Amino acid sequence: MRDVLRIARKDLLLLRRAPALALGLIVYPIVVAVLVGLVVRYAGERPRVALVDLDGLPATLTVAGQAFDPAEVIVRAAEDVEIVRMDEARAERELANGRVLGVIVIPDGFADRLRGLTEQPEVLVRVTRSGLGTRISEQAQALVYATNRRLQEAYVAANLDYIRLLREGGRLELGGLDLELLGLERARAMLDEAAASAPGVAAPAARVAQFLSLTDLALDRTGDALRATANPIELRIDRGGGRSDLLSTRVQSYALALAVAFVAVLLASASLAAERDENVLARIVRERIGLGRVVAAKVVLVTAVAGALGVGLALAFAVTVDLGDVAGGQPWARFPLVVLGVALTAAACGAAGAGVGAVARDSRAATLIAFLAALPVALLALVPAAAIGAAVHVGDAFPLVHATALLDAALADAEPAARVAREAGWLVGLGLAYGLTARTLGRRVRG
Amino acid sequence: MSRRYGARVALHPVDLALHPGEALGLVGPNGAGKSTLLAILAGALAPSTGTVELAGPGARRGWVPQRPGLYARLSPRENLEFFADLARVPDGAAEAGRLLALVEVPDEPAPAGRLSVGNQQRLSLAVALLGDPAVILLDEPTAALDPRQQRRLWALVDDLRGRGHAIVFVTQSLDEVARVAARVGVLVDGALAYLGPVAGSEAAAREAFG
Repeated sequence: MRDVLRIARKDLLLLRRAPALALGLIVYPIVVAVLVGLVVRYAGERPRVALVDLDGLPATLTVAGQAFDPAEVIVRAAEDVEIVRMDEARAERELANGRVLGVIVIPDGFADRLRGLTEQPEVLVRVTRSGLGTRISEQAQALVYATNRRLQEAYVAANLDYIRLLREGGRLELGGLDLELLGLERARAMLDEAAASAPGVAAPAARVAQFLSLTDLALDRTGDALRATANPIELRIDRGGGRSDLLSTRVQSYALALAVAFVAVLLASASLAAERDENVLARIVRERIGLGRVVAAKVVLVTAVAGALGVGLALAFAVTVDLGDVAGGQPWARFPLVVLGVALTAAACGAAGAGVGAVARDSRAATLIAFLAALPVALLALVPAAAIGAAVHVGDAFPLVHATALLDAALADAEPAARVAREAGWLVGLGLAYGLTARTLGRRVRG
Repeated sequence: MSRRYGARVALHPVDLALHPGEALGLVGPNGAGKSTLLAILAGALAPSTGTVELAGPGARRGWVPQRPGLYARLSPRENLEFFADLARVPDGAAEAGRLLALVEVPDEPAPAGRLSVGNQQRLSLAVALLGDPAVILLDEPTAALDPRQQRRLWALVDDLRGRGHAIVFVTQSLDEVARVAARVGVLVDGALAYLGPVAGSEAAAREAFG
């Protein structure tokens, strides 16, 4: 163990002598973490959808006496897609070449049908066969739902106006006629006056007055009934109850794991290859120090450097969550689990990097190979299991997937112990396997 | 000892003995197996068959590879102290100072990568001298040096031989062998074609170099 620490201490000294590299090691994970956050925030968001308005919708549309702005309704309903107005030919062309993922067509006469309340107007939605087509259909359904909702509100309001007239009386325009309605309340008052002046009709007048009162009472409740009929289930969306995407535990765990993994793989591979580059590997190994101990020294170095950077990054996330009073708060009691996850990630990825360094002829080749190898693995960790089932099994062979799962469990699981233990076991096993592979490959290359 | 790489024989079985204060030169064309033999003698390469035995408990071998084998970003002293640590040399700091003075490399904080080629080669020799090795193995130590630096290095090596260290060196020059060594080994195609006094090696060397 003393030899391992000696070599690791020497490597730390070498790292200190390369300030540009050391700075890169600090900046790199921060850049990676921020980029991951942004990618997750915006990935797949707001696909473009064409809006073809063949009817020439007016700025203000009045239906059942209620005026609303159709453009504003569309924008509010389709907030998860980017609505782009264009003519029909261009929309077809862009749908064909994939620049828009759907086309919403407002047909000619749409507004007239809507105003007339006699024919049901239609909205046509064309989508591609891509996976996002379903999402566009859902958006279109949401758009129609939102428009219907606004119309229902208008219809309900118009109906309630009629009911108010029935109850309170007033002026009514109907079929070009200007009418004066008496109203239930005034009718009952007139009835009371008539009954008082003619006692002979008092009994039937009282019965009619009672009927008018009951009718008034029933009509008073019509508003709620109408609203309930229009929307049996009212959907209320409460935004801002959870964390922003950038600070979600999913982003935190992935950004942490990815940043630590990249630094660990690159540093370990370059550091081991540099021993051969400088022609000192054979000199070290002949001092009865096996290649296994050299590999172990690289793992120790990487665990110290990448681990420290990872813990720093985790602290930055945690402090941001705390200072920003983010929903859910920072689970500080779980921080030791995060530190464990970061350390195991660094060690396992360091062992994998040492494997690359063991076969590469020089540090530049090692860095390039490490980067080329790490990139698809990083993307693999983002592939949902539902998308490609095989990705899950392939991903199991790489530490990043387990690192992400461990950190996610540490940060978010109600009972994290079992998942943390399982993923930690994976990382330890993979670390040992990669370390042994690095030793074996290194021996072969060394001859 | 011998060495194979798969089906290819890099070194046919070789048997040789070396005594304290003796210098042996190894010559031969490129690819003849000289560096392979030296790396096996140095313990940097495991032989496919055979063993290398050192007389005396705790006896060490010092190795100067063809390329210096130093950490370019560490100072000469830091290089020596690191390898002294690995070699379990007691009081590595004092030993580093002594060896830097012996090989006449300035004890300065500048990184070893900035030393002249000659100084790097002498620093590499200083690393090989850590722990007072019984045998010193040098792989073409003067290949990149100018004539003045070559003379300085050979004077140092000859001084070490005079102090009782056994010396084995690889070279392309029979003149260097004649100047430093009493015996020479001529390697051709991985086989030891001649092993004996320098005086009788001319015919084998002529044949080896064509």
